[in-house]
Amino acid sequence: MKINSSEIKWHLLFIILVLLLIYPLLFSLSTSFKTMSEAFQSSSLIPADPTFSAYDRVFTTINFVQILSNTFIIAALVTIFKLVTSVFAAYAFVFFHFKGKTALYFLLISTIFIPFTVTMIPNYITLSKVGFVDSIYGVALPQLADATGIFLLRQYMKGIPMSLMEVAELERASHLTRLRTIVVPLIRPAILSIGIIFFINSWNEYVWPAIMIKSEVNYTLSLALQMFVSSEGGTDVPVAMAVATLTMLLPLGLYAVCQKFIIGTFAQSGIKG
Amino acid sequence: MYSIEFKNVIKRFGKNEVIKGLNLSIRKGERLILLGSSGCGKSTILRMISGLETISSGELYLNGKLANDMDPGDRGIGMVFQNYALFPHMTVEKNIAYGLRIHRIPEKEIADRVKKAVTILNLDGLEQRLPRELSGGQRQRVALARALVKQADFFLLDEPLSNLDAQLRGKARKELVRIHEMYGQTMIYVTHDQIEAMTVGQRIAVINDGRIQMLDTPHEVYRRPANLFVAKFIGSPSMNVFDGQTAAGTMRLNDTALPLTPGWAEKVGTAGAEKLLAGVRPEDITLTAEPEEGAVPVTVQYHEDYGSRVGYYFTINGEEVISIMRDDVLQGCRQAYWKPNPGALHFFDAATERNIGYPEEAAE
Repeated sequence: MKINSSEIKWHLLFIILVLLLIYPLLFSLSTSFKTMSEAFQSSSLIPADPTFSAYDRVFTTINFVQILSNTFIIAALVTIFKLVTSVFAAYAFVFFHFKGKTALYFLLISTIFIPFTVTMIPNYITLSKVGFVDSIYGVALPQLADATGIFLLRQYMKGIPMSLMEVAELERASHLTRLRTIVVPLIRPAILSIGIIFFINSWNEYVWPAIMIKSEVNYTLSLALQMFVSSEGGTDVPVAMAVATLTMLLPLGLYAVCQKFIIGTFAQSGIKG
Repeated sequence: MYSIEFKNVIKRFGKNEVIKGLNLSIRKGERLILLGSSGCGKSTILRMISGLETISSGELYLNGKLANDMDPGDRGIGMVFQNYALFPHMTVEKNIAYGLRIHRIPEKEIADRVKKAVTILNLDGLEQRLPRELSGGQRQRVALARALVKQADFFLLDEPLSNLDAQLRGKARKELVRIHEMYGQTMIYVTHDQIEAMTVGQRIAVINDGRIQMLDTPHEVYRRPANLFVAKFIGSPSMNVFDGQTAAGTMRLNDTALPLTPGWAEKVGTAGAEKLLAGVRPEDITLTAEPEEGAVPVTVQYHEDYGSRVGYYFTINGEEVISIMRDDVLQGCRQAYWKPNPGALHFFDAATERNIGYPEEAAE
């Protein structure tokens, strides 16, 4: 394959970008295998004397399994509910005809532009009144529906030829049947990749769980990470990096498995619409 | 009792009236063609039968029952869409059986019906393929099969052959007629292709501007067009129409007075139209290089050789006229003599554009 000079320029740029993006990952991975003193003295990416002691300390100081399962439950709940509500709402916005549909849709979409900082206090107050403070369900509850998901899935559903739905209509298929037999199978890649994005976003969330959760049994991974770098907890860099590495594993694995859907979804969203 | 009956049906999209007072009765088991150019309202009529489009006013009867508000799923419609509307994620078998499974028909019967349709439509061995693995003609046949297995009363086709190449289209036309004769449902077929209309239809409804211009057999529609629109729409190249200056039993063509038959002379005399337009099809004439009695001398401006036929262009009463002969009778000669066959003339009232009718003697 011949590469011309303008392509080489682009490739160089991308290689630099990739190195910049991947450096923090390699840094945390390598630091997690270093001793405390080496972590402060050397900036080499290859540990001089690799050790698992940081990982040992992770599992002895915190209840890692509990924290992992907390994070997973929140992310799974949020992802599943967001997907279900998004699919149903998007279906209604595309295939139902009712008065005020456009106005309602734009009202809904406008919520995307409300910053999180505006809603976090009212949400906290509401949840504290119904007794959901310091609970992983309290973290999940305000996130069960999402305008971004509705917006993206609506774009996909609009791409489904009307005649396919009319074939179903002539068979007197109910809306649920149409959703199950036609719409969902056709936009399955989009649903999957949007689901992964929802999952990773929830997995990485820090501010909202930090507000809601008080006791250590309810911690999520990002909160646990903070225990090892805060002024009170002392700064145990290798342990913090070990937690960070463990935190990355699941999203990275998910992405590796599903990357072909994700890339396809975002490549297509420009064409369809 | 008619199978499908429209009574004064009007369809509006917003303020735009697309169907303007439609009255149409379709017999049980017939093959009716809705023919017209794009935007004339023919697909809208089909979609009103299926219930996918509502009726703004008037009445639609299906098998004698008022169907204005009937659910599309209750009308007994098998429909073939222009883009075939095959489910891309389902195999051929699942596509064909889609409706049957929704209606929870026993799997044994589904298998029998699908097998029959697959055999009739030559889809054997393709049952487990996905639509994207099929050719255009095969996809079209899967769409037909899906509409047929339903064994519905009405078989609606919306330009089903327009995505096929010319050769395949000819084959598919014959196949459609054969299948219809096998299943015998009432078949409504929308097309803009007059060859399809003439070959598939038992009756043709020619539609223009939201109205039926003529409803009759292909033969009548071609031979005795009800008005100027139908005359010019059907036939290729289309009918030559020019100023029909008649006086005292003759018609003036350029500088020649062509005598009319007594029948035509009487018909034209009693038509009561202020001005007449005369029409003659390109092939209903004789053209010779030698002068002939009653022939009009013309100067050929252009000629086209189609291989099987030759077309000559010249001017009659200020209008460009094309005449078609089997052979190149002129052999490059520009001076020719043109005579319309007396039995193949058509006269239209210039004001109303209606056909004034035909004398008794006019041979079909």
